[in-house]
Amino acid sequence: MRVDEKTKHDAGTPASASAEPAARTTAARPRKRRSVNREGLEAGRRSTRTLLWILLAAAMVLYGFPFLYLLFTSFKTPIDTIAVPPTILPREWTLENYVNALGRSGVPASFINSIQTAIISTVLSLVLAVPAAYGITRYKTLGGRIFIMAALVTRMVPPVAIGIPLASMMGSVGLADTPIALSIAHTTISLPLSIWLMSSFFEAVPQDLEEAATVDGCSRLGALWRVVIPVVSGGIAVTAIFAFLASWNEFLFALLMTAIRSQTTPVVIANFQTQFGLDWGSMTALAAVYSIPVILLTLLLQRKIVAGMTLGAVKG
Amino acid sequence: MSTRKFISRLAIGGICTAVALSASACGAGGPATPTGAAGTNTVNVLVEAGGRAELTGVAEQCKKDAGVDVNFVELPYDGMFNRLSSEFSSGNVSFDVAALDSVWLPSFKDALQPIDEIFTDEAKKDIFPALAKEANVDGHFIGLPAWTNAEIILYRMDLFEDSKNKADFQAKYGYELAAPTTWKQYQDISEFFTKDGMYGTDVKGGVETEWLAHVLQAGSPMVLDENNKVVIDNAAHKEALDFYVGLAKYAPSGAAQVDWAAAQNLFNQGKTAMTRFWAHAYRQIPKDSPVAGKVGAAPMIAGSAGIGAVPGPWYLTVPKATKNTEAAKKFVKCAYDHNSMGIESSLGLASRISAFEKYQDKEGYESFKPLIETLNGEATATRPATEKWQQIVDTVLVPMLQKAVAGGDSAILLADAKKQIEDLLK
Repeated sequence: MRVDEKTKHDAGTPASASAEPAARTTAARPRKRRSVNREGLEAGRRSTRTLLWILLAAAMVLYGFPFLYLLFTSFKTPIDTIAVPPTILPREWTLENYVNALGRSGVPASFINSIQTAIISTVLSLVLAVPAAYGITRYKTLGGRIFIMAALVTRMVPPVAIGIPLASMMGSVGLADTPIALSIAHTTISLPLSIWLMSSFFEAVPQDLEEAATVDGCSRLGALWRVVIPVVSGGIAVTAIFAFLASWNEFLFALLMTAIRSQTTPVVIANFQTQFGLDWGSMTALAAVYSIPVILLTLLLQRKIVAGMTLGAVKG
Repeated sequence: MSTRKFISRLAIGGICTAVALSASACGAGGPATPTGAAGTNTVNVLVEAGGRAELTGVAEQCKKDAGVDVNFVELPYDGMFNRLSSEFSSGNVSFDVAALDSVWLPSFKDALQPIDEIFTDEAKKDIFPALAKEANVDGHFIGLPAWTNAEIILYRMDLFEDSKNKADFQAKYGYELAAPTTWKQYQDISEFFTKDGMYGTDVKGGVETEWLAHVLQAGSPMVLDENNKVVIDNAAHKEALDFYVGLAKYAPSGAAQVDWAAAQNLFNQGKTAMTRFWAHAYRQIPKDSPVAGKVGAAPMIAGSAGIGAVPGPWYLTVPKATKNTEAAKKFVKCAYDHNSMGIESSLGLASRISAFEKYQDKEGYESFKPLIETLNGEATATRPATEKWQQIVDTVLVPMLQKAVAGGDSAILLADAKKQIEDLLK
């Protein structure tokens, strides 16, 4: 529009006089356009960024709210926990629920059992998954491909279908109500995922690295141990976290396979809901305390996790 | 030492400790005496989480009196049936005594030992008739009631005694406002209090027991008759269902989703003036609840067949697979002898008539007289003794009730339910 007006004003002026402004106009036009475009792009980017931030905040609220609600509930008085309609913040803050939850018999023992079971299960998963994934990715045999698919299929079986037979089997080999039995059961959940995760991490490591190590005198296992595993340590950390979490939060197998010696905390948390009422405050207090170790573990391994997450993305 | 090295060493230390502990197959709960250790005086007692409190005092007493040590295996209610099924079917049980919900007795009858010797004539006289009948399966007693419960009427005494409410009620209905003794009164009172954001009662679409109590009060057996014929479509069931659903207009919305916990919350929050609820709830009203100290208790209301309710007892049973039978039976007998100790627990229930009677006049136990009257009611009866009962409840009765409170046609729903139950029983 402005360009048109300018053209009209210039009409009737001498060619030489009009040439300079015309040249100036044609030179200014792209500059203006560029600046308009830049501003437009900048504004577009800003609005996209704002939209993304809003979406991100909404997602964070969506994911974080249940945990925050749990946390706030753990500080509520008994009547506040069951308020109709529910309140988000406690009307009166109390630590009574924490005293009740932690003072309940069997809670400290269940924590030790959970830690013990999760560590054993994680170690078992890694010890089995690392060589399995390495073998599958490096040898690329038909058997390997079938094996990795079969491992995935085991993830599709509902745990309740194998829980009862597993419990019977453990009982018949004298492992009833032991952390090792529960760890083995938990490994059946985490192992397939661990193999798949580790496979993708090994795929990202160039084979040249191992060949170089072999030239320098390493055996294949030596190359795996000294060269490949340090490279995929971030991936191992990610896999370990997933395996640990799978065991830490698992409920069904723990319910079916533990009694006095090896009962884990998820079962104890569930015990706050009885036929005769729900001790919601104590339940949330224990759940909040139970979340602390995994939050700390995640924070401790954060750098490794981020490194591991991006490891599989740079292959090729 | 760098932080990284410290963490690594800590992790390695933790792993080694865990592996060492697991190698000894020893959980942090300590090595329990395994069931099957014949001749020991330690018994593992499987209880639903709420039952532990009920039996803890009894267990301490049994240690003193009978020298029986008790380890409790506590499980959440929802998982207990699966666990029991798993262990009974494998023949390896991790417990010597199990406290079972009455609903499960028919399912596990073949895995339980008879305990006829504990059911002496004197003992039978002290057990509510419906419970003694339920414990007897195929001519043998297989469970000793540890504690029992029944639905009674809980109402807001403060509202009922308010002079304005009394006068207004008298003016509107022509009789005095008091704890209801007929269902017509219950309906009137529910209507009267449904105002200003408050409701007269609740309607629980998520549980079946209350509707079944109405069926008993109308003089019909629940769902199945004595020959296991499905009678859910008879007139008594329809009348009961129509009445039950009719109360929904005096109850908070969303009746289809209201279960025990929701109804208890509504009452404890002061949102409902009356509730039909298990008697234990009277003593479990939180101290900081707006209704604490303002609640009265009355027996379940009678229908044409008299007072009728569905009791909720739990039975102590001894599995056939335990090799520690002697100590297990010793504990069951001891638990019966000291049954009244359960009343002092947080749950506050017992199973012997004499135990309830001992406490009924004490302050704080005002719910016991109505409970005794309800449990002795002429129409009070236990659930049908079929191993499919839990399945019938979960897959037929509750979904049907939910449809009914949402406005479904009762006759059609009951006819459908009949067909489904017949298919399940085939």
